[in-house]
Amino acid sequence: MQVTLSDKKQRVPFYVILIQHREIALVAVLALLLIGVSIRVPGYLGSNYLNILKGGSINMVMAAGMLMVLLIGSIDISVASTLAFAGAVSGMLMRDGYVTSIAGMFAVGIGIGAAIGAINGLLMSWGRVLPIIVTLGMSYMTRAMIPMSWLLGLNKIARINLTDSFKVFMLDTTFISIPLLVWIAVIVTVLVGVFLRFTRVGRNIYAVGSNESAALIRGVHSQGVKVMAHTICGATAGLGGIMWLGYYNAVEKTTASGDEMYVIAACVLGGVAVSGGYGKILGVAIGAVMIAVINNAIPQLNIGNSMITEFVKGILLLFSILLNVALRRIANRRELLRRSI
Amino acid sequence: MAIMNSLRKLPRKLLRWETMLVALLVLMCLIFNRQDTARQLAGLSKRDAFNLASVVKGLRPYMLYSFMTLGMMLILAIGDIDISTGAAAALSVAVLGSTYQALCKAGVPAWLALTLSVVICLIAGGLCGAANGLLVTRFNELFPMIITLATQLFYRGIGYLILGGGTMTFKNDATFDLFKKLYNTVEIGGVSVPVMLIYFLLLAVIYYVWIHLTASGRKIFALGTNARATYFSGVQTNRIKLSLFTLCGLMSAVTGIFFVGATSSSIRADSMMGYEMYAIAAAVLGGFSTSGGKGSVIGVVLSLIIFGVMKIGLGTLYGFADSMVNLSVGVILILTTLLPNLIGDAGSLMRLCRRRMQSHVSSRAMQSGSIAPNGK
Repeated sequence: MQVTLSDKKQRVPFYVILIQHREIALVAVLALLLIGVSIRVPGYLGSNYLNILKGGSINMVMAAGMLMVLLIGSIDISVASTLAFAGAVSGMLMRDGYVTSIAGMFAVGIGIGAAIGAINGLLMSWGRVLPIIVTLGMSYMTRAMIPMSWLLGLNKIARINLTDSFKVFMLDTTFISIPLLVWIAVIVTVLVGVFLRFTRVGRNIYAVGSNESAALIRGVHSQGVKVMAHTICGATAGLGGIMWLGYYNAVEKTTASGDEMYVIAACVLGGVAVSGGYGKILGVAIGAVMIAVINNAIPQLNIGNSMITEFVKGILLLFSILLNVALRRIANRRELLRRSI
Repeated sequence: MAIMNSLRKLPRKLLRWETMLVALLVLMCLIFNRQDTARQLAGLSKRDAFNLASVVKGLRPYMLYSFMTLGMMLILAIGDIDISTGAAAALSVAVLGSTYQALCKAGVPAWLALTLSVVICLIAGGLCGAANGLLVTRFNELFPMIITLATQLFYRGIGYLILGGGTMTFKNDATFDLFKKLYNTVEIGGVSVPVMLIYFLLLAVIYYVWIHLTASGRKIFALGTNARATYFSGVQTNRIKLSLFTLCGLMSAVTGIFFVGATSSSIRADSMMGYEMYAIAAAVLGGFSTSGGKGSVIGVVLSLIIFGVMKIGLGTLYGFADSMVNLSVGVILILTTLLPNLIGDAGSLMRLCRRRMQSHVSSRAMQSGSIAPNGK
């Protein structure tokens, strides 16, 4: 909704502000959550906020990639298995002594993820297979390839398989007393935000997502944009694999299974439209932080049993998408009334 | 004349999806049979491991998600998707277990408690589906994928609220052990057939008659092909959608009941994770597309059998682990939708080339003056 000059004289209604800045509602809910936790368990947040952010960093990185894919109106449900595959391959390379440097690990992980994402994108754009089918098949395939004897033959990458320098670097490095994993998440978020906001290719992603044929007529190479979005999504999933290795020091074939739903949930909580063309990185970041807070802090509240986090996540996601629709409907109706149609 | 007519239609009939599936099944059986004989000759196994009896008996574990597939395929046929079925099944099983426990504690006779809890379990599944359906029809701006993603987390969360992280078991409870009978086999003509397979085939016949031979069934496909046109031709599209989602939830509950039998009456809240993906994969291989409007029950039955046979063959004959099977599932899933597209592309490219050739020839002919240009 555009506020024109003549509208500015009137008071802008509250719901319009809410729709234009979905982040306000998100921040309000987040603040409520945090206040609730602080009242119930005093001092928990002060000592644990870095842990919460650290736990949510992998989800945030993948959500930033997922944002691209959702913006072009596609979806990728293979990110969690891409994470496991990239983590397994790079972990094995480190175990067998092929890759010892930390930069090499990151390059291998991101490269593998990007390759898988590119295959997804090619199949989806040029093969015209529906994205959900492509990525569902890909998630079966990548996860199955981990324990295969002729390929990786991997049961588990354990703490002992990783070099000490890698472990120390990933977990103990801090900059301005903020751990490395959080920094990676912040850097990826900022990069994606700048890319989407200020570069021509980034704007093309929005164009393809909003109206593909219009973008095509305007001279946007829509197939290429789609492949690129999927490639970036795969790359972030690969980066997530390296981060997983650094955080948990272990990867096996069932690693992160089902986590793709939380990645999508972070995006949807952040107000990304799954039909494509609408979504901001700021919202996604708040959504990811919210999921991290729920994961970490809700068990501290001692409500119900230890598994209440799932319930809270579900109800929050349901509430958020329904609120979004309701607000938009009210706005549309008011707009029609205003123009007396 | 009639024979000639049917002969002329033969190529088109051969290109049907079900024929392809039958061919795939036959091919797989031939390869597995060959490997079986080779293993026997090499002395690796004493008796043939791949015959009708062993395959039919071995299908048992792979029939679990078949009921869910029956529900899911209709959701796919109307162009929607439901990824909450696994969670709905887990929730209804949790309801089943806790209801039975509560009723038994209240002193209700065991058989009555069992019947009541099964009914409540089915109602719970139906309610889960109906909630999905209501949300999908009321909020049609939202994608069913996102709505069911949210309800998936929600149902799974309720399941966790009921059961916690632990396992609910009913040891030495003769009445509750009746569920185990659902996982038994019965002898039919020397072949031990899983009870589940019989139930599934019965249901599949009902489904076939309903969706292929009745008007209400054809409306489903009409809705999937063009929802607007169907709505304007006077079909209550929202009501159909709602009832199909409810049915899908009901089938999830049925899957849950059979699952209780398969896991010898232990109930967990995190069971049946990823079943919805198996169901979608089976339905897509069976010819249903996520964009809606096509597919057949025969294809789904064939694809479920293909998955079962593939797992048995790759597992027992080649010694591949589950992961190899999953790899093939992934490959098949992508190829089943990619290949028709590529064939279609190649066909249209060939037609284009042929037309170019023809136009080239005719233009040359026009230049040489042997054919007069039209109108002059």
